[in-house]
Amino acid sequence: MKNVITVKEVTKVYNPDTIPVHALRGVDLEIGQGEFTALVGPSGSGKTTLLNIIGGLDNATEGSVIINDQDIEKLSDSQIIEFRKQHIGFVFQAYNLIPVLTAKENVEFVMLLQGASQAARDARVKELMNAVGLSEHLDRRPSQLSGGQQQRVAVARALASKPRFVLADEPTANLDSKSTADLLDIMSQLNQEENITFLFSTHDQRVIDRARRVVMLEDGAVISDDTKM
Amino acid sequence: MFNTMIIKIAWRNIWRNKIRSLTVVGSIVIGVWALTFMMAFYDGFVTMYISSAVENDLSHIQIHNPEFVDEKEVKYTIDDYTELIKVLSSDNDILSFASRSLNNGMIANSKGSRGCDIRGIVPIDEAKLTRLDKKIVEGNYFDLTKKKNPIVIGKKLADKMKLKVKSKVVLTFQKTDGELISAAFKVIGIYKCTNSIFEEINLFVQQKDLGRLLEDDQMIHEIALLLKDVKQLDTVQAALASKFPQNLVENYKEISPDVNLYESQMGVITYIFIIIIMFALIFGIINAMLMAILERTRELGMLMSIGMNRMKLFLMIVFETVFIGLIAAPLGLLFGHFTVLYFSKVGIDMTEALEKVGLNEILYPTLNVESYFTITVSVVITAILGAFYPAYKAIRLKPVEAINKI
Repeated sequence: MKNVITVKEVTKVYNPDTIPVHALRGVDLEIGQGEFTALVGPSGSGKTTLLNIIGGLDNATEGSVIINDQDIEKLSDSQIIEFRKQHIGFVFQAYNLIPVLTAKENVEFVMLLQGASQAARDARVKELMNAVGLSEHLDRRPSQLSGGQQQRVAVARALASKPRFVLADEPTANLDSKSTADLLDIMSQLNQEENITFLFSTHDQRVIDRARRVVMLEDGAVISDDTKM
Repeated sequence: MFNTMIIKIAWRNIWRNKIRSLTVVGSIVIGVWALTFMMAFYDGFVTMYISSAVENDLSHIQIHNPEFVDEKEVKYTIDDYTELIKVLSSDNDILSFASRSLNNGMIANSKGSRGCDIRGIVPIDEAKLTRLDKKIVEGNYFDLTKKKNPIVIGKKLADKMKLKVKSKVVLTFQKTDGELISAAFKVIGIYKCTNSIFEEINLFVQQKDLGRLLEDDQMIHEIALLLKDVKQLDTVQAALASKFPQNLVENYKEISPDVNLYESQMGVITYIFIIIIMFALIFGIINAMLMAILERTRELGMLMSIGMNRMKLFLMIVFETVFIGLIAAPLGLLFGHFTVLYFSKVGIDMTEALEKVGLNEILYPTLNVESYFTITVSVVITAILGAFYPAYKAIRLKPVEAINKI
């Protein structure tokens, strides 16, 4: 199985010149195509920091992150923005949809950034909104959707650009049980049917139960890496 | 294509916090309204000042013996007067002209005396040029067939010297040889114009009476003329100056530097008004947009996370303020326009306020189309400039920090 993400000896130190805080201590991690992986661990273990570094939102103090044969730590500011747009889908804990756009517009937003045609956008939006079960809510704004529905729109948006993988930071933290189950069903289905790679940070047991690989972090280091059979 | 989406987001973002946006819109509307009215008021004032000076005193062009201008002595009369009159009479660009005999002197009655400028005029010509006959508020204008030594004086002078129609006065002035001469005149009319200082100093007698007293009925010191179209000012002036080089041909701006100053400074004052108002507005815009960005930090972080580059983010914020400007500017202009329109009809009574500078009339604000355009462009530029700092702050955000902002 080809690796989508390769993390080598990544260290992250906050405030190195004053009171250094070691968020990550030499993390090595490889994520293969089509994996459905949960990064777990207690608060402050480094899950979100690792996710941010893999997503190019933050820089490692040391080490490298190889995605698509490209060390993203070496990319310039504008190159990393372009890289994120083309290769990475994000799902955030607080949904972070654009409140002034409809569900449809939110989903097609990244495709517009990519310069996709109207026809391509329409087709992809239809496909994804069907997949997340919101084809009837295309013209609703986020404020007219429930939390679970908003997170499903966020998943559709993350997938709209056909990224190599999706990073989801605590995607179920604000959802009730039913919405969590629905969201996990959708992501699991997309993972299995379209071979989309998902990497979550979570401490939600329901997500952990559904993940096929669980990587546990503690004090900024990987302490276990289990793949379910 | 994406720019359409940016524009859509920017437009909708304005209405996320209606009260804040409407407050900014309101402040711009008031600013533009005030600016429009101030510019129209100043424009109206300058127009009134210039037209008052041209109509009462200066006319468009004056011709003198150059030495008269320097020395003010009565012996320096206009050269080649007869030929000059022929040329002026045949020039189609000239609306009207009048010749004057001028003399500095003193007016006296039993109550006292005052210095004055005596203007010996041809009543018909003067009426055509300065409409002096229409400015008579008491008594009558000159009647060529009757009375010896009639005089028309200003209302201000009449009030100060307690003169009435039929009052007798004595004028004392100098002859060409320097000898003083005095003659009795009878007030037949009192005029009132828009310039009280002019009213106080200038009095009118018939040229033929003055000529008789000076023993020279061709003693012309000044020819003043009005043009049909003031745009022909330079052309007519140059033609007359070249035909009669021995005389000094000056336009009203050259004769009266203060008129020239008002006219030339009108543009500068307009820009000063604009800069002051826009300077005040820009802080309101910056404040509102900084608040908007502070509220949307997480959203901006998300936009950068999913691949929106900094230039597009910058543009989005600039569009927001430009939209606010484009909503507010027409409203402000509309209110300003209607205010100017109203006062251009009813006028603003400036009699008391401007009496000390010699102007005592109703001010009618005026504003040309060019000024409306200038104001609109200024508001848009201000909105863009006002967006720069907030937009700069937005693009300096780090996605990872912004997205986790509570």
